[in-house]
Order: sequence, then structure tokens, then C-alpha cells
Amino acid sequence: MTSHQFTVVSPPTDAISALKFSPDPNSARIVVSSWDKNVYLYDLRDENGKVGEGKLLQKFEHRAPVLDVCFGENENEIYTAGLDWDVRKIDLNTSEQTVLSSHEAGVRHVVYSREHNLVISASWDSTLHIHQPDAGANPDSQPIIVPLPSKPFSISATATKLIVAMASRALHIYDLKALALLTAQADTAAPNGTRVEVEPWQRRESSLKFMTRAVACMPDDAGYASSSIEGRVAVEWFDPSPESQARKYAFKCHRQTAEDGVDVVYPVNALAFHPVFGTFASGGGDGVVALWDGISKRRIRQYQKYQHSVSAVAFSASGQHLAIAVSPGFEDGHDEVPEGTVKIYVRELGETEAKGKGAK
Amino acid sequence: MGKKRRGPSLEELLERPWCYYCERDFDDLKILISHQKAKHFKCDNCNRRLNTAGGLSVHLSQVHKEQLTQVQNALPNRMGVDIEIFGMEGIPEDVLKAHRQRVASQFQQAELDRQHATGNPPTGASSGGQPTKKPKLEPVSDLKKRLAEHKARRAEALAGGSSGDVTPTSAVQSTPTPGGYAQSPPVAATPQYSYPQPYGGPPRCYSPVGGQQVPGGSPYTPTGYPSPYPAGLPAQPPVSYGAPPFPQQQPPPSDNRFTGLPAASNLPQRPAFAVPSVNAHEMQQMHMGHVPSPTPAAPGHSNGSSAQPTEHVSTPVDNQISGAANDVASKTEATSKPKKEKTKPAIRLVYNEDTLSPEEKMAQLPRYAYVPDRSTQTALGELPGNVIVGRIQESDTVLDTTH
Repeated sequence: MTSHQFTVVSPPTDAISALKFSPDPNSARIVVSSWDKNVYLYDLRDENGKVGEGKLLQKFEHRAPVLDVCFGENENEIYTAGLDWDVRKIDLNTSEQTVLSSHEAGVRHVVYSREHNLVISASWDSTLHIHQPDAGANPDSQPIIVPLPSKPFSISATATKLIVAMASRALHIYDLKALALLTAQADTAAPNGTRVEVEPWQRRESSLKFMTRAVACMPDDAGYASSSIEGRVAVEWFDPSPESQARKYAFKCHRQTAEDGVDVVYPVNALAFHPVFGTFASGGGDGVVALWDGISKRRIRQYQKYQHSVSAVAFSASGQHLAIAVSPGFEDGHDEVPEGTVKIYVRELGETEAKGKGAK
Repeated sequence: MGKKRRGPSLEELLERPWCYYCERDFDDLKILISHQKAKHFKCDNCNRRLNTAGGLSVHLSQVHKEQLTQVQNALPNRMGVDIEIFGMEGIPEDVLKAHRQRVASQFQQAELDRQHATGNPPTGASSGGQPTKKPKLEPVSDLKKRLAEHKARRAEALAGGSSGDVTPTSAVQSTPTPGGYAQSPPVAATPQYSYPQPYGGPPRCYSPVGGQQVPGGSPYTPTGYPSPYPAGLPAQPPVSYGAPPFPQQQPPPSDNRFTGLPAASNLPQRPAFAVPSVNAHEMQQMHMGHVPSPTPAAPGHSNGSSAQPTEHVSTPVDNQISGAANDVASKTEATSKPKKEKTKPAIRLVYNEDTLSPEEKMAQLPRYAYVPDRSTQTALGELPGNVIVGRIQESDTVLDTTH
């Protein structure tokens, strides 16, 4: 019953910060960003199109550790963000790198909205930068800068919305359409980008008491899941009506009871929704990956513990694969990273392996 | 009467399906079967859940070319692969019996513990259900077991030079027959000794017997498998004189119950005590579901009035029982309490910061330190070309071919 699993060849040499699948459902390419200052592009398919341990296609070195990566409009362009304060676009065919904008602190996340053709980056300087990448033809184009009340820790986008989870348990939900309009209007070549105060569509306080670790939106645009450093995941809905809000809930996970009876609570580092079934995976500091059905409030399965913390999880666009990035010492950052401990596992999911139990 | 029932009755407990391999009991058969599939019949290699040990064995040998030697997660003496168990089917008769006995004695023990803890009369005592139930629950085998146990202790005491705590357990009854238990023939004499006693001092004799039933049984029953004792005994001579004691002993208890019960059947009187103490307000509260002072008072009443006569007479044994019960209670308390205290507040966060995310913390490490040089920023436009150092040429060609 348990799915087949394999490790990807030549993994990064330091902790993995992000891992994404190609948006093309027929492709088995993944990009991985790492603290070893590189972005890796793998193709899991071999010459015969069979998905396996794959091969490393390309490696792009940055000046500083890379904290996030995402695919752009197609699988030939990626955007990266990192500790060098820059947001870059990399054309995979030509290996050409373009700096889209520079923040004033490390850039934690970057997402691409296909529907609105926007690249949104979130940085510890407490701003969002919103870019229109096709304006890349115009090298002078500048992003608009949206100030945030706190440092952003995680962002996630659906077809219509953008969620920004910040420090102090703040959470903003923006309407992407409004952001796109603003970006289009503000696209006058101001020297350092235009600062635009944008009123979010919704302001919320996280339903979790501890620092938000990750957010991920449901593929059906109905809601999102968020996780905290205190082994807990919350599932909430966008719809502000009281009925929908009454449906939100949170649950404990990624905990272990030590021999002395103390509950050891791990951060939930990563969340990812299944593109087809709407279920989601969580990856924790305990090295456990679990699949959950957010609707029926059930755990679908939990995979055998990995040796080290799970730093990122991602489903392929087809929903047939689940990639899991395992890196040691990700929580405290103090551990040296011994060679061979950073690994990327890919699970071939059975047809119904990630399907919710309450058959939809 | 009309009171909330504290727990399941013995019948309900005996009805519960249970797992042959680990002696756990379940709410219904379905859950038991899924438990067995998940815990005992699961293939470690592929996580497939089989229905029976035989099925797992075949699966292992055919699919994984392995041999099933024992059932996983089973009790040490239940690991056998040869017995085909599915749910409650296939459990050997003797094991089934032993289990029933164990449940029954555990139930009694719990009942007794509760009695001692709360000072309440046994549940349903007012209806007289308990006294009639008890003799039923202590059938021949139980008494025999006790007898055997006694003999064992006697022998042990004699061999080991006796110890203080062995004799007291047998208390009043055993004192006249210290040597009698050592050899089997004199055992027949015990009923004779006990005979006069019932008439001489009715409560004295009976209550030790009644009291001993449980402490006598308890040290054995918790250990789990009492079957060897009753099963072994009937084959031995004791059967012959095991039988006489019962008819002889049982009449006295029933007699005693009449003499003793009035004490217990003070119960009708108890409301007379209790009722006046409940004023209208309290009564109302009780009706509303609050159970205020009256209930704590009730045990007091029963202790004060009904229990007194019997208690005084049976103090030595009673003390032992309560002592034993307290021991058990304190032990369980000792083990369970700290757990409770721990699980509530004891949470150890692996990462505990309020505003600093793990990535930020990591970024502060010297090996990741990076301060952008603002002066070179103007040159950034040209920089990217040089920056692509990490590009891998060979794989690049692969990329080209795939496109």
C-alpha cells in the first residue's frame, strides 16, 4: 500500500529552503533552492520518460543562500529570492538571469500568479514587491512596493487571492486583481519603485497562538491552511460569512512524547495542497510527512519518519508525485550539515493515496 | 436507585469483544477486527493488512519469500501462528474461560476499590443485587483457586519458616489449622473448624470469608491467566473435598446475610437520616443535577449507622483489605498522577521564538552572512553574466536535446 519512494540524485550540499514542481502536469521537473547558494533544476524522468531518481539538469549559483524559488509562466522560467536581497528571474533555456528588484533585507518568498501575470516577493524588510515580469522588455520598469505591518513569514497565492502570513500573528489576504491593477497603473518608471499603501481585502489574526510557519491555499480557492512552530495546523476559509468562519479549526500534529512524558513539539515547516484532491501534506521538524483531508478533518496517512527535519514538500501538477526535502538542523540552524544528510525524496503516489476519505 | 450508573455492568464487560493476541477489549467486533488487521496481521514489508495470521503467513511466503514465525504485538504466550484467529472466532476454550474469569475478578476488584475509596455501599446494594450476584460470581473454581492458593502459602510458610504477612491474610479462619493445611487430609477438617464458628460468631466467620475472597483472588488475577489454577485443580484430589465445603459454607453466609443484612438493610432507614438534612434549596439543586453536600454526607451516614456493627467485628480483615486496596490505590495513584501532571504543562518546543523565524536565525550565522554592497548595485545589470558560475555545461547539453 505504501507508495514507492526514491531519492533524487546529486542533492544540494546544504539545507533546502524550497522545492517546487513544474506547473506542466506532463513534466516531472523540480527546482530546489538551497542554503548552499544554488538553485537546482532536476528532471525526474529518464530518457524513456520513466520517473525515477532523475538527473540534475542545471545549477545556478547566487551570491547568497537562496530562500525561495518558483516557476514562472511556463517551466522554462523561474524566479528566485534569497539573502542577497534580490528577486531574480532566470531563463532556464538561456541561463540568463535578470534582477527584478532589490529589497532592503533578505527575501523570504516569491510566488508567481499565472492568472494575473504577477511576481510577488516578500522580504524581511516588511514589504511586498509586486512585479510584472513581462515588462521585463522594459528594463526600467519598477515594482510597486506594498508595506506590511510586520515581517512576512510565508505567502501563498490562489487564482484570485494572495495570503501573507506575518510576525505578530498577523495575516493579510489581498485581492490579486486589485494588486494587478495597481501594478499596471503604477508602472511609471519611478526611480526606486513606488510605495503603495494597499488595503488588504481581509485582515486576520492567525488562529494559532505561535509564530506562523507556513501558509498554503486550497486549490479550489475556498480557503487555506496555516501552520505554526508549535506543531499545529489551522484550516480556514476565505468566505467571511459567520457560517464559513464557524467551519475553521486547528489541530495538533508533529509532536512526540519523550520518555519522560514531555511532549516534544516540532514546527510544521511546510504545507502543500494536492492539486486534484484538495487534500494537503504537512512536513514537520520531526521528519514526518502526513497527508490530511482538510474537509473531513481526518488524517489520510502518515509516512515513515525521515532522519531529519522536513523543510519543504510539494505535489506535482498532476498530483502523482510528492516531493519531500529533508534537511538537518533546519529549526535551529546551529547544527553543521554533514554531507549526505540533505536529501530530496520523491514519492510516487498511488491513485487514491492522497484522496480524502469522505469521498467527494 | 435512580442514580447515575457508574460504569458498565459485569455482563456488559463480559460481552465486549476482545483481542486474543493482546487481551485488549473493544466496543464492537468491527473495531476488533480492524485492530487485529492493523496490529497483528499487518505485513511489515508492504503494509498490507491481512485477515488472519494464516493469511499473513501465506502472503509473506508468497510475496516476500519470508516465513512468519510469530504474531507481532502479541502477548508473549499468544504469539503462536498456528491458531487461526479472526475477531472472536478461533479463541481456544480455556483461554476464553480464563479471560472471562479475569474480567470478572477485575470487575470485583474495581468494585471493592471503589467501595473503599468512596465508603459507599456496593452499587445496587439497595436492590440487593450485589449480595446475590457475588456468590454467583465466585463459583466453585474461584474457591478452589483460593484453596489451592492457601495450600501453596501454607506450604511456603512452612518451608520458608513463615513470615508475618502470610498468616494474617488467612486471619481468623486459618489460625486454628496451621498444620492442617500442610497435608491434604486435614484440609477436610477445615470445614469442620469453620462449622462451629458460623454459629458461634456469625459475622466473624462470614466476613472473613467474604473478605478473603477478594484479597485472596486479587494477587493472582491481575497477573492475568488464572486458568492454570482452576484448571489444574479439578484433576487433583481436592475436588472431592473441594465440594463439601460449599454446601456447608454457603448456608451460613446466607444465614449471616439475614443477620448481617439488617445492618445493610438499614438502607431503607438511610433516607430517613438523609432526607431531613436536605433542605428545599439543596433538594432543588440536586434535581438540577448538582450534587451538593448530601452525597458526601450519605457515606457518612452509612458508615456511622449501618457499617458500624459489621465493621467492628471484621476490623482485622477489613483493615487488611482496605490496606491492600489502599496499597493498590496508592500505587496506581503514584504512577498515574505524575503522568497527568506532566502531560498538561510539559511541552517542549523544538523551536521557540516569537518574532524570529528559523530562516532569519539561520541567516544570522556567519557562514550565511551576506551584506549587499550597495556600491556595486549599479553594476548589477552586467553582473548576472558572471554570476552564472554554477552552471553545469554537460547537463546543459542534455537540456538542449530534450527540448
